[in-house]
Amino acid sequence: MARTLTYAFLVAVLVFNVVPFLWMIFTSFKTDAEAYAIPPTWWPHNPTLYEGYGKVLMWTNFPRYFLNSVIVSLGAALLSTVVGALAGYGFSRFQFRGRTALIGVLLASQMLPGVLLVGPYFKMLARIGLYNTYTGLILAFTTLTLPFSAWMLKGFIDTVPHELDEAALIDGCGRFHAFLRVVFPLITPGMVATLIFAFLLAWGDLLWVLCLTSTDSMATVTLGLSRLVTQFRVIWPQLMAGSVIAAFPPVILYLLLQNYLVKGLTGGAVKE
Amino acid sequence: MPCFILLIGVLGFPTVMAVLNSFGPIWSKGTSGFTLAYYQRLFRDAIFWNSILKTFYFVGGTVALHLVFGLAVALALNSAIRMRRFFRVMAILPWTVPDVIAGLVWAWMFDPISGIVNDVLDRLHLIASPVEWLANPNLVMPSVILADTWRGYPFVMLVLLAGLQAIPKELYEAAKVDGASPIQEFFHITLPNLKRMVAIATILDIVWQARRFGLIWVMTEGGPARATEILSVLAYKQYFKFFNFEYASAMSVLMAVLLLIVGLPYVRMIVRRV
Repeated sequence: MARTLTYAFLVAVLVFNVVPFLWMIFTSFKTDAEAYAIPPTWWPHNPTLYEGYGKVLMWTNFPRYFLNSVIVSLGAALLSTVVGALAGYGFSRFQFRGRTALIGVLLASQMLPGVLLVGPYFKMLARIGLYNTYTGLILAFTTLTLPFSAWMLKGFIDTVPHELDEAALIDGCGRFHAFLRVVFPLITPGMVATLIFAFLLAWGDLLWVLCLTSTDSMATVTLGLSRLVTQFRVIWPQLMAGSVIAAFPPVILYLLLQNYLVKGLTGGAVKE
Repeated sequence: MPCFILLIGVLGFPTVMAVLNSFGPIWSKGTSGFTLAYYQRLFRDAIFWNSILKTFYFVGGTVALHLVFGLAVALALNSAIRMRRFFRVMAILPWTVPDVIAGLVWAWMFDPISGIVNDVLDRLHLIASPVEWLANPNLVMPSVILADTWRGYPFVMLVLLAGLQAIPKELYEAAKVDGASPIQEFFHITLPNLKRMVAIATILDIVWQARRFGLIWVMTEGGPARATEILSVLAYKQYFKFFNFEYASAMSVLMAVLLLIVGLPYVRMIVRRV
C-alpha cells in the first residue's frame, strides 16, 4: 500500500517536472499560427523545423549570443578554476594567521547580492574602458564563480595526502612545482568538475550581462532571449527553439555532475 | 599568495566601493562628504518597503515550498523503489535549466489564451474564462512562486537526499525491533538526524532566493503595479534605469547586511570543521 502511494507520488512529480519541458520542446516545432491556435494544441500537428529553429538561427542574432555565452562562460570558468586551485592549495596546505577568518570571508562572500557588486563593476569597467567587452565580462563573472571554485577545490585538495607533496619538497621541488607535478594530476577530475560548474554559473546569469554590456552583439543567450520576450509581440516558436538550444548544455552537464555539487556545497557535512 | 590578493581584489574592492557609495557620491568630482541621507530616505520610501514585503513574500513562499516538496520527494526516492536512478534524474531535471529559461517557459505556459495552464483548467471545467496569471496583481506572485518552485526544489531535495542516505540503517532496524511505527521513525530518527542538512539547505536557499533576478525579470519585470518587485529588481532599476547610484547602493548594502545575518550560521557551521 505504502509502496503504491510512493510510486503514485513519484509519477505525479515526474509529470509536474516534465510537462514544462515538453511544452517548450513541442512549441519549438510548431508554426507561428499553430502556437496561437485556440484552443491550444498540445503537440505540434504540423511539426516544422523552419519556423522555430530555422528562423531563430537565421533571422535573429541568436548564433552570436550563443558564441558570446560560450566565450564568456569558458573564460570565466578557466580563470576562476586556475586561480581557485592556487587559492585552494593555500587554504589546504598552509597554516597562517587569519586562515579561518579568510575562509569565513570566502564563504560569506557567496552571500553578497549581485546588485551590490554589479554597480561598482559597471563604474570601474567603464572607467578602464572594459565596459561592453569580453574581458570586462569575464572579470566580472569571476566575482560570481571564484569563491565557489576556490572552496570546491580546497575540498578536493584536502583529499590528497600531505605526505605526497611534502615528499616532493624534500626531493628538492619548489612549492609551485610540487603543486603542478604532484597535486595537480591527482585533482584533475575535481578541476574538471569545478570548471564545469563555474561555466554553468556564468552561463545562467542575466543580471551581470544586462548591466555590463550595451550592444546586441555582446549579449549572451540569456540576455538575447529575455529581450525577445519583452518585444511587443512574442514569437513563441522561435523563442522556445532558442530556449531549447540554450538549455541543452547546462542540462547535460548538470546531470553528469550532480553528485560533486552537493558535496562541494555542504562541505563534507554529509558524512559525520 | 597573489591569488588571495586577486580574490580580495575582485570581491573586496567593489564591496567597499558600494558601501562608500551608499554614504555619498564617489564617482563624480568634488565629493560632498559622507551623509546618512540615503538611508534616511530609504526608511521613508513606500516603494522600498513594498519591495521588502514582496521579497519576504517571494522568499518565504518559495523556500517553504522547496523544503516541503524537496523533503517529500527525497523521502520517496530514499525508499526501496525500482528504477530509482531514473526517478532521481527526472527529479533533478528542472534545476538544470537556467532560471531565465525556466521563467520564459512558465511565462508561456501561463499565457492567458494560448498557454497550457488555462487550457488544462478549462478542460477540467474549473475556470469559465481565461485567467490572467501574470497580469493580475493578486495572482502574479503565486504564479511566479510556482514557477520558481518547479526550478528550485530539486536542489533542496538533493541535499536532503544526501542527508537521508547518511543516516545509518541500523537505527531503523533497531526501531523496527522495538516496534516503532513509520511515523514514530520519521519524527524520532529521520528528522533529528536530518536537522543539520535541513539547516544548510534552508540557509543557502533563503540567500539564493533573495538574490533571484533572472526568473522574475523575464516573467514580470517586477510588475504589474510593483506586485513582484523584490529588492534585487528594485535595486537594479534604481541603479541602471534611474541612475540613483547612491540610493541604489544604500539599498543593496542593507540587503547584503540582511543576507549576511541569515548566512552567518552556515558559515560558522562550515568553518568550525575546517
